[in-house]
Amino acid sequence: MFTNKRIIILGIIVLLGFILGRLAVRAVINLMLGGTMFGGNLL
Amino acid sequence: MREEKKGNKRGMFIFLCILVFIISFGVGVVSKITHDPTNGKYKVEWNESIGTIYTDIAYGEKTSNKFDLYVPADNSKESYGLIVYFHAGGFTSGDKSDDKAILEYYCSKGYVTAGINYTLFGEQNLDSNIYTQSMEVKEAMPYVVNKAKELGYNVDRMAVAGGSAGGCLAMIYGYRDANESPVPVKMVFQAVGPSSFYPEDWKSYGLDKDYEAAANLFSVMTGQKITSDMFGTPEYDALVKDVSALYWVNENTVPTVMAYGKHDIFQPYEGSMRLDKALTNNNVDHKYFVMEHSGHGLQNDDKEYIEYMEAVQEYLDKYMSN
Repeated sequence: MFTNKRIIILGIIVLLGFILGRLAVRAVINLMLGGTMFGGNLL
Repeated sequence: MREEKKGNKRGMFIFLCILVFIISFGVGVVSKITHDPTNGKYKVEWNESIGTIYTDIAYGEKTSNKFDLYVPADNSKESYGLIVYFHAGGFTSGDKSDDKAILEYYCSKGYVTAGINYTLFGEQNLDSNIYTQSMEVKEAMPYVVNKAKELGYNVDRMAVAGGSAGGCLAMIYGYRDANESPVPVKMVFQAVGPSSFYPEDWKSYGLDKDYEAAANLFSVMTGQKITSDMFGTPEYDALVKDVSALYWVNENTVPTVMAYGKHDIFQPYEGSMRLDKALTNNNVDHKYFVMEHSGHGLQNDDKEYIEYMEAVQEYLDKYMSN
């Protein structure tokens, strides 16, 4: 089941999920308090 | 048969991918929510070896007229600096306990610290406004100083601080009432506190385009009867002076450290530019931090936020040391 290709895909999904999770929080807080989506802190 | 097995494996892998995405997304959300830009630098594990907290000490007759006092364990010094921190909450919510962490931190550094509650505007207190709140905290100061002295801590200098609404009240006390303070006010540090009420600055509320709305909101906030035709007149300035820290800035204004978010939608960044200009023009020692990507929470500029906190420490060392 876990071929090299699938392990890479899972790795990308982990990274993507983590980044999108942080960005989602930033977006919600920006909506409530003001702020930009990018710039300043890395994520 | 083999094809069916292959299809099942693919289905399981897709399911695994979705599960992994959901978990990673959740971890990302939690890591962002719990993120502390200072890595816990301004938090202490409070215990009796650090100090003692006296809570809900009354300073007036109203329910909210209470303060908490944090005194360091070491009571052997001849004199102590007092740091008073006013809580945030848009003048309508919040509590002195919200600032427990920062009050504990500065107490652990040898300061006597205090969090003061004031009567919040709301259905129960329609008469409450920034002016009445500023007068309440002003009345509280002698009680705070006397209580500290009663406990054996000779407070002889103070800093006033706060965030948002608390920052506004800190500036009003530091700039307007410093001359009447029971002990000399040495400095102010605050974040995102409004210091003036120019409708053209309050764009996020649409007040720059709707002077009627501006008059209504500022009437409630200041406790004055303001009409839309007053803006830009000396009469208006006189009405809002008591709640506008900006108007009290002069060459004797105490040193100030302040931080604002450029994209703040609760109070206008433009107002902070006016304040910075006034402090600069009057040669007041101050530091002005602008968080280029942040709003009211100063949430997107960790580097600048850390610099702000370090500047506060620098000013405390400079102006509050014995």
